Amino acid sequence: MRVESKISRRDLLAGVAAVPLLSNAQTRPARPKIAAITTTYFKYSHAQHIVDRFLEGYGWNGTHHYPAMDLVSLFVDQVNDRDWSRDRARRFPTMKVYPTIAEALTLGGSKLAVDGIVVVGEHGKYPRTEKGQTKYPRYEFFQEIFKVFRASGRSVPVFNDKHLSWNWPWAKEIYDTAREMGFAFMAGSSLPVTWRTPSLEMPAGARVSEAMCVCYGGVDSYDFHGLETLQCMVERRKGGETGVRWLQAYRGDNFWKAYKEGVWPKDLVEAALCRSHTLTPARDGFNNILPTMEDMQRLVKNPVAYRYEHVDGLKSTMLLMSGLVKDFNFSARLDKGLFSTQMYLPMPDGRTTLANFFSPLVNGMEQMFLTGKPTYPVERTLLTTGLTSSGVDSLFDGQERLETPHLAIKYQPTRESTFWRT
Amino acid sequence: MKRIAVIGTIYKYLSHVQHMADRFLVGYPHQGAWHRPDMKIVSLYIDQKPAGDQSQERAKEFGFSVYPTIAEALRCGGDKLAVDAVLIIAEHGDYPRNEKGQVLYPRYEFFKQCADVFAKDGRSVPVYNDKHLSWSFEKAKWMVDEARRQKFPLLAGSSLPVTWRLPDLELPLGCNIEEALMVGNGGSDPMDYHALEAMQCMIERRKGGETGVRAVQMIVGDAVWKAGEEGRWSKDLLVSALSRSDTPMGLTVEDGRTQDLVGTGQLPKLVKDPAAYFIEHNDGLKTTLLMLNGAIRDFNFAARLKGSGIQSCQFFLSPVPNVTYSACLVSKIEEMFASGKAPYPAERTLIVSGMLESCLTSKVQGSKRLETPQLNVKYQAPKTSQHART
Repeated sequence: MRVESKISRRDLLAGVAAVPLLSNAQTRPARPKIAAITTTYFKYSHAQHIVDRFLEGYGWNGTHHYPAMDLVSLFVDQVNDRDWSRDRARRFPTMKVYPTIAEALTLGGSKLAVDGIVVVGEHGKYPRTEKGQTKYPRYEFFQEIFKVFRASGRSVPVFNDKHLSWNWPWAKEIYDTAREMGFAFMAGSSLPVTWRTPSLEMPAGARVSEAMCVCYGGVDSYDFHGLETLQCMVERRKGGETGVRWLQAYRGDNFWKAYKEGVWPKDLVEAALCRSHTLTPARDGFNNILPTMEDMQRLVKNPVAYRYEHVDGLKSTMLLMSGLVKDFNFSARLDKGLFSTQMYLPMPDGRTTLANFFSPLVNGMEQMFLTGKPTYPVERTLLTTGLTSSGVDSLFDGQERLETPHLAIKYQPTRESTFWRT
Repeated sequence: MKRIAVIGTIYKYLSHVQHMADRFLVGYPHQGAWHRPDMKIVSLYIDQKPAGDQSQERAKEFGFSVYPTIAEALRCGGDKLAVDAVLIIAEHGDYPRNEKGQVLYPRYEFFKQCADVFAKDGRSVPVYNDKHLSWSFEKAKWMVDEARRQKFPLLAGSSLPVTWRLPDLELPLGCNIEEALMVGNGGSDPMDYHALEAMQCMIERRKGGETGVRAVQMIVGDAVWKAGEEGRWSKDLLVSALSRSDTPMGLTVEDGRTQDLVGTGQLPKLVKDPAAYFIEHNDGLKTTLLMLNGAIRDFNFAARLKGSGIQSCQFFLSPVPNVTYSACLVSKIEEMFASGKAPYPAERTLIVSGMLESCLTSKVQGSKRLETPQLNVKYQAPKTSQHART
């Protein structure tokens, strides 16, 4: 994978000549030891979904698969009466719960004693910023991890669940430090790796002029998933990802005005809606009916749009339309016509009992822990982290268009598809 | 523009008539666009009008008539067949059950009245029959034979064969299947029928196509687990099918954990009334449907193929109310109405109707193995895939 990041070019150039600060050139152990650093562990929290798959195994490739590694240590920042981590530690004596991140990484000793780390800084009670972002302590977790890496003179592969941080400078610092230390680094959402209905991949090298994701949820939350949905598809276009030049957010009346004026293409919204399995019926007595603009205005109380232009001219739009859909739908205009699919999340909100979209996410981590190489580029998530943050900023700053020179992040996608299809 | 008559049992919210007929009225999502069929519902017959009946309001809004008899609906009140296609949807409504637990939906009766009109008026048109053809194989066979006699295309069946698959698995045409197993849930006889038809659309692709069924047996209760221990159904296939499920019950519901329901021994604790449907095909293939209420809530298939090992998938039943899988089915119906050719053979549904009836007979006869010479139904699978993948 070729990685080019304009903003970190200086760091990269320095890094190319220099030997990585820390040694990560070790032989991979037969059964890697993994540490999980998490915020909280309740039923259906991200930590429960992810860590349980290492402990209990999960359905994969048509069998119940047990990862060829041992999750041996767990740190949980917030333990409450809904906690299941203590139950898991009891049932799986090979896994110990440690009171600090350092101890979880050193297994109570003085040096790094694990071969891979999973960071799950999602869920839990954390304060919000004045812009409404939840201050999940991912950056703080990484500071602790980096301390152990430095003190031990070595680093190991790390997976970070969701965006790198709510705060762009911190996210960038995490990324730059990871590059400096030279460890394999992955991050992101399940959306890029889950099932698709239909099971379609953006053709490699496609010429894409517009891309759209129609999804649901809140700001600094599911917007990130919508952006990852877009990014995992558009990064496969001709030339690869070139970074993003500017972003503008819309909400409320501004959203409807922009929609009606055609700020984003209406045909792509319709194409995306036609992939949804959860379109709220706009009329009583009908179970599946295409909503009109008026219907949508009635059904969607707090719509949000992020529209942005990539450096190569591609324009992407992410629409949060809670009340209209409860899934993630992608569409794009290619030179050969419209292309669309749904990134299907079997959501345990009554539809299923297992959030199995975590299975391909965990499998992607496993591959990295076994090979020492990221399964897909972390630059995707660096970019979507920055886009999420800029979206929040634009909403907060009067829905103005924000120039994003710091998001001139270039990278190439993996050659092979990495979404769930087997 | 093709003119369609709808013959249904009830027309109320989320009944099969509502979600299928409505798609001809307001369109439906298809291949990433909102598709509006270039055909028109002109007449409707509805057998029962319970509270919540929508037949009159739909007729008024979309400009068609509700007729008191099937013949009148087909002739649009005139004296000759006046439609180009017939949609028979006899599912839901208040109908009695027989001693085998089958709901006696009047599909045969509806179909026969249509066929009588065709015969009298000297013209026949394509017919779609929702779900199995009849609770009785004899009646079902008459329906398929009558369609052949009068030379009209007949399509029937469930949406499971045409919905999305997770993963998008299609068995290679002409493959060598060593054994196959389906896992389903829900009541009999609606949901076991869906599960059998899902399995049938996979195994009919084997070398030589479908050869017919020579015997069936249905067992229930602890005998199902014992049969597994004795190797009558494959645990490996069950593990594979369950690995595709998104709805394990029990401990998953309690604390969210993933489970190997077979390996941990949880399965018998969760399923109070297991049922196994054993099907022996004429070419020697043995297949099994396990209905595992209490363990899972979705439909999953696994087969062992010579040379390529175990293959498995989930048949994705997308959520209520959209039930977008029925849009996949309506698109196949529309295809037949437009082209005059059924995209896949009604013999699939015929043989499934028969194996279900015989399995339920076996059950009421103390789980006796029954020879089924009448199920000598042979057919070839369609060459192209028919499920949602574009």
